Amino acid sequence: MRFMDRPPPFLFFTGKGGVGKTSLACAAAVQLADQGKRVLLVSTDPASNVGQVFGITIGNKITAVAAVPRLFALEIDPQAAAQQYRDRIVGPVRGVLPDAVVKSIEEQLSGACTTEIAAFDEFTALLTDVTLQKDYDHIIFDTAPTGHTIRLLQLPGAWTGFLDEGKGDASCLGPLAGLEKQRAQYKAAVDALANAAQTRLILVARAQRSTLREAARTHEELAAIGLAKQYLVINGILPDAEANTAGDKLATAVCKREHAAVDDMPEALRKLPTDHVPLKAFNLVGLEALRGLLSGHVATSASISTPVTIPSAPTLTSLVDDLVGNGKNRGHGLIMLMGKGGVGKTTLAAAVAVELASRGHPVHLTTSDPAAHLLETLEGSLENLSVSRIDPHVETERYRQHVLDSKGKNLDEHGRALLEEDLRSPCTEEIAVFQAFSRIIREAGKKFVVMDTAPTGHTLLLLDATGAYHREVARNMGEGAHFLTPMMQLQDVTRTKVLIVTLAETTPVLEAASLQADLRRAGIEPWAWIINNSLAFAHSTSPLLRQRAANELAQIEAVSTQHARRWAVVPLMAEEPVGVERLRRLARH
Amino acid sequence: MPTIQVFESALCCSSGVCGTNVDQHLVDFAADFAWAKQSGATIERFNLAQQPMAYAENAVVKAFLERSGTEALPLILVDGEVALAGRYPQRNELSRWAGLSAVELENAGNCCSGGRCCG
Repeated sequence: MRFMDRPPPFLFFTGKGGVGKTSLACAAAVQLADQGKRVLLVSTDPASNVGQVFGITIGNKITAVAAVPRLFALEIDPQAAAQQYRDRIVGPVRGVLPDAVVKSIEEQLSGACTTEIAAFDEFTALLTDVTLQKDYDHIIFDTAPTGHTIRLLQLPGAWTGFLDEGKGDASCLGPLAGLEKQRAQYKAAVDALANAAQTRLILVARAQRSTLREAARTHEELAAIGLAKQYLVINGILPDAEANTAGDKLATAVCKREHAAVDDMPEALRKLPTDHVPLKAFNLVGLEALRGLLSGHVATSASISTPVTIPSAPTLTSLVDDLVGNGKNRGHGLIMLMGKGGVGKTTLAAAVAVELASRGHPVHLTTSDPAAHLLETLEGSLENLSVSRIDPHVETERYRQHVLDSKGKNLDEHGRALLEEDLRSPCTEEIAVFQAFSRIIREAGKKFVVMDTAPTGHTLLLLDATGAYHREVARNMGEGAHFLTPMMQLQDVTRTKVLIVTLAETTPVLEAASLQADLRRAGIEPWAWIINNSLAFAHSTSPLLRQRAANELAQIEAVSTQHARRWAVVPLMAEEPVGVERLRRLARH
Repeated sequence: MPTIQVFESALCCSSGVCGTNVDQHLVDFAADFAWAKQSGATIERFNLAQQPMAYAENAVVKAFLERSGTEALPLILVDGEVALAGRYPQRNELSRWAGLSAVELENAGNCCSGGRCCG
């Protein structure tokens, strides 16, 4: 493996949930320890299963992994770090200030920024502790700070305003107010990250267009702020042998699709040193599995023989039966598909829209996925279906420019730099896109509007609190019109149905559950969950894929019994679900 | 020199860009605040989301919050007494309260540089 060739002291694995960062980080740690190095493995995954992988309990203190000499591990829970921060700020005033006031403070501290910065604060200690670096040859992280966080910490204007005086101008530095680290320590941490002799960043992706695109974005963002030494690992590739020996239509199609995705990989990734890691039949728990991961050993069909019984599960068609509605709510409403990137929101939005339109209901399908070429194949294909697209990049740029030109026109250089950084926060894109969507939402009183995105509960609460939405909606609807804010509309389950999309894998299900918790905080109850790309319902004959299918059952069980009120499963298809016919087939399995 | 204290509501962004409509008052006040500081005024901003203890420990502010809630913020105190509530001060108000001289005002340009009076 190229990414393991003469590694520097710090290794960061980054990639979105479910690509296998933690497994790779664990495997790398074991390999280095086996080579005689002293290794500290740090997990900041809120759903860390590092302890489970090694069969021990770790937690927030450095713990020796008994089975592997020289290997130590530490779990940092960024949610817990953020909660500690919130408690430190809010605790002393609870019961002192009015409850409504305390609530408004808590909401402001519930955003992604707080969690991000709290996690980075924990990193800095590890990156700058000289004693630790004497004790360990390598410190391996199963996540990396985002570009947004690092830029904030590099911004000199923000620092002079913030740390020198103790009061900030830059919004997202707010969370630092309660953190004790000093400017010098943050600077040292950022310098260590940017130093190729000290730090190597390993981008982890799957052989899928969407995760490769996201890896390319992360690559560019982190390279722009100095993390130049980057490697790429494409994980979980279905071995060609599986397609050939199993003679399975699905396995063959998956192989072909993965080859195509790798061949079409974004230009920015091509120049990176790259490794391919084959798909394994079993989840990577236990030392032997981990040692096998980087060895290049490919599982053979002969070694797998577990028979599995697949239970029955509701189809997307049965969900759509209920979506149609009844009484005065029949035939119209807003349907939002939510979930992390790469779970297939756009495809399922299209499938729901096609199913509704086929039944004679007028439907407007709208997407914010810049690469949703599947929608082009739908335009004009069904009488009742109209399709539109919102480009998040264009909307965000327009919004940023508008704010800088209008509200920022009188600012001096320092003030403008701070405003620009605020406009690079993750909230901004969400707001810009949702503004565009709020123009389309109003159609939902007359027809079905199906969207492949939605704001987070945090954003909705903040926006609703400002009342800005009332004005925005009133303006869009014209004068004198009766109106409803998007927040009110989203909370009303007769008008809006939120469908959470996930995959039958551990991390994606946990991410979906936390998305649901966030929505509930905003008074929005998700209407149903959809488990997408399920191998368990794909009826493959490939032994490797059948074993992966069996591994899904525990997650499907968790979704159906713990998380979802209604649910459906959509199988992984041999053909890309493009066009009306294939989308219809998705709805039935 | 009198002390000006500005108690603001719980802000995610002190520039206000987190809202659908960026609050021009907030963007302008950020500039006016910087100006006042530079001109030698003793002035402090408090963000409810970051320094709630400052609100709880000040009897005037605490009573104000109990009576009027966060909706009525910002609250501006000059030497501990209420000078303004419900809106951000303008540059000329800041300079009056801080006792800045006319010379400093002139040097700093007119009220329109960053102020609201010119829209």
